[in-house]
Amino acid sequence: MKINDLEQLESEDITTLPSTERRTFLKMGLAVTGMYLSGTVLSLTTAGRVNAANVVPESGEYPYNPHYSMVMREHLCIDCERCKEACTKTNHVPSHGFRTTILEKRRSLGGDAYETIFVPVLCNHCNRPPCVRVCPTTATWKDEKTGIVVMEPSRCIGCKTCMAACPYNARYFKEETRAVDKCNFCLDTRLSKGETTTACAEACPADVRVFGNLADPDSRVFQLLHSPGTTVWVLRPETGAMPNVFYINS
Amino acid sequence: MEGNVTITSAPEAIKPAINRLMWLALFMIFIGVAGAVYAQIIGHHHAFANTREMPWGMLIGVYAYFAIISTGLCVLAAFSHVFGGNRMAPVANRMVWLSIMALLGAFTVIGLEIENPWRMPLGVILHPNVTSNIWWMGTLYGMAVGIMLLEFGLILTKRFTAAVIFGVLAAIAESLANSNLGSVFASLSSHPFWYGAQLPIFFLGSAVLSGAAAIVLFTHYSYILQKKEIGEYTFLSLQTAGKIMILMTFLVSVATGWKFANAYSGSEAMVMAADSLTSGPLSTNFWVFEIGIGLALPCLLLVVTRLKSVYVMSTAALMILVGQFFSRFNLVVSGEIVPANYGFVGVPQYFSYSPTVAEYLLVIAGFGVVGFGFLAGEWFLGKVFHHKVFHPHTDIDHH
Amino acid sequence: MWGNYKMKKILLMLLFATFLFGGAILAATGGDQAKDDEYDEDEYGPADPIIWVKPVKSVVFEHKIHTMEAGLDCDSCHDDLFEMEAGVAEENDDFTMESLYDGGYCGSCHDGDTAFASDTRCTACHIGVRGHTRLVGEEEMPSH
Ligand code: HEC
Ligand code: HEC
Ligand code: HEC
Repeated sequence: MKINDLEQLESEDITTLPSTERRTFLKMGLAVTGMYLSGTVLSLTTAGRVNAANVVPESGEYPYNPHYSMVMREHLCIDCERCKEACTKTNHVPSHGFRTTILEKRRSLGGDAYETIFVPVLCNHCNRPPCVRVCPTTATWKDEKTGIVVMEPSRCIGCKTCMAACPYNARYFKEETRAVDKCNFCLDTRLSKGETTTACAEACPADVRVFGNLADPDSRVFQLLHSPGTTVWVLRPETGAMPNVFYINS
Repeated sequence: MEGNVTITSAPEAIKPAINRLMWLALFMIFIGVAGAVYAQIIGHHHAFANTREMPWGMLIGVYAYFAIISTGLCVLAAFSHVFGGNRMAPVANRMVWLSIMALLGAFTVIGLEIENPWRMPLGVILHPNVTSNIWWMGTLYGMAVGIMLLEFGLILTKRFTAAVIFGVLAAIAESLANSNLGSVFASLSSHPFWYGAQLPIFFLGSAVLSGAAAIVLFTHYSYILQKKEIGEYTFLSLQTAGKIMILMTFLVSVATGWKFANAYSGSEAMVMAADSLTSGPLSTNFWVFEIGIGLALPCLLLVVTRLKSVYVMSTAALMILVGQFFSRFNLVVSGEIVPANYGFVGVPQYFSYSPTVAEYLLVIAGFGVVGFGFLAGEWFLGKVFHHKVFHPHTDIDHH
Repeated sequence: MWGNYKMKKILLMLLFATFLFGGAILAATGGDQAKDDEYDEDEYGPADPIIWVKPVKSVVFEHKIHTMEAGLDCDSCHDDLFEMEAGVAEENDDFTMESLYDGGYCGSCHDGDTAFASDTRCTACHIGVRGHTRLVGEEEMPSH
């Protein structure tokens, strides 16, 4: 075969496949790798592609409805820690642990000057939760309806692999229940009782924490994340966990 | 039922010595379990030095240490049984036995380390998670113990063909369990120093190294206990194990080198984790124990003495096993020592972790179990371990 | 050999430079301390920061920034905006951001003209629970 003939040949790589076919092929690959990496905890076909420029899943591709998420208006946080107090009270968090907390970082303003930035953190209820993947007894899973990462204390053997796996330090071992404990967006203490928001979001006097359903275009979380000119970021995106707690500065 | 079951009691002469050592091992188990009970009562939170940020410590390392030794022994035993020509066959039965015992030691430590061991047996059966490396590791190691016990029963009853088949199955289960153990760490992208494809294969390499060292050490100690000269065949077996030690100390060193080359061309977190070993809080553990005593010196000793002396081989084996102990500890701690929030106010460069008394007690229990297993083997099964008696491969060959 | 000699020379110079810079840093910190000693409470008001914990933990006010550094007189605040007694303002129900935005309390200057506006740079005034603990210590943290 001559070079010319070769060039005439149609390539057999996936770039020449019609796009739908290509997508099914990719999905197959994802499903196979997903089996090992994330298994049934996520349906990768609907997990939402995260493109390079944006950490927010494409609209219309949220795996859940309501797809609960939280938006942090980071620059407004003043570390009054009313969120922590409300969480502790609502969810019976012991003094040796926390479900949410505030981190503090400093940004140099040149010379000696710096500005303080408070960063509220909690469970990110990831679309690909590493904690869920590693649990040997399925004591933690993504709630099928809401996508909230929940815990069943009575199944926890206390191997603490989920604590090691979590990129966000969101889990701790609660001696009182002899199980790992974590934020569940107040699913049992509030949402299931008809409340529409979490204890921490309700307690925040500076309106830092905005909680809501990302799958609903009319929700405030959706609006905040999709308003023009807004930079949205997440914590530790490199781990591939696809978190559902988003940070903005506007 | 063909053949006789060859469980015999030890020769009178060596009974008192073994007896005393067995009591010592039992005592070690006792104080270890006492430590575990104490830890349960006051809470692991208080008894162990682990924290929310560093949930794993020395005990996870020791669990991996024993499990990896077990895998090495089991895999080498299977090779020897299948391919008798490699000269390790005379010690292969002892390897199977010790592999079971090392695994029981591992189970003891992990069983006492996790918070709610009683929730485990039903939990892993009723609510399995096929994406969990821990689940696979537990299941496969559990299977391996079962298969090896069967294998050993078959060896005792001289059904060697079946024993070889079970030996191979056990080796496969052990290898997969072992690399799942590697993947427990290696699949956690939240810990970049663990994350990656190297660890599972590194663990397998370490297994072969530890297994070879363990069989040299225990065989030598067995002969010391019996006050007997090591026979020619057994000596050749130990030399083969010695060659494996030389090869594997070299390969593990190379792998370790690349691990650091890789880390130093990685993210800040990777560099910091690597620094914790090369120049940070773990540097003595790393240079003196893991590298010096555990890899470089034994390799040198074995090469220089050209595997002529049992004593040197046994000393090198001991050094390797000490080094491997530190290697596991270093691996576990270095992976978690860099705070994910490094750079935030009040977050240190490295977390500090130094094991508590309770943790050391549990480790002692693990060694107690392995020691007791070894001695029990010498007591009841000495004959099975003796060369020229019952090695599946020779017997198959001569049928 | 020559290369080696040159290396040594460079190393020596580096060492010398390090000493010089080290000296400069030491001198700088020394200077700062001298400034602190100079701070005159009679002239500039109390040296210790004033910390409020109500309604939220915690907001800090420093006389030094306002009097010595920004050159404000005592009567630009006392006693129209604030009493000369720590903790009085925080007893008022209207000691809130709302009041600040309406030009009350700090907001009479922190309106974007005289000084930076109260709806910006939240953490310039708010040191939070973490900042409070750092300044005052854990024990004295008032529980609500
Ligand atoms: C920018 C506004 C401002 C200026 C200018 C100012 N102060 Fe104050 N001062 C305050 C505030 C606010 C308080 C606390 C009031 C409160 O807690 O209700 C205070 C409190 C005080 C107190 C009481 C401290 C205590 O521990 O009880 C003294 C004394 C005082 N000021 C002296 C001065 C003097 C002297 C000057 C001029 C050199 C001055 N202040 C200038 C705002 C100011
Ligand atoms: C009389 C006017 C005035 C009042 C009242 C006043 N400030 Fe200021 N403040 C200033 C000026 C002027 C500056 C320096 C210029 C600037 O930073 O915008 C300043 C600076 C500051 C800074 C330093 C910001 C930095 O750059 O680090 C802080 C913090 C501050 N003020 C807090 C307060 C607080 C809290 C109150 C109320 C208790 C208050 N101020 C009331 C005039 C005022
Ligand atoms: C110039 C100083 C200053 C700045 C800037 C400032 N605050 Fe405040 N803030 C105060 C003072 C003083 C109080 C009352 C004292 C207290 O609560 O400890 C207060 C109280 C509050 C409160 C509780 C009372 C209320 O209004 O609900 C909140 C919430 C608050 N601030 C949020 C913010 C946020 C968000 C920002 C940034 C957008 C901000 N503050 C910027 C000085 C300031």
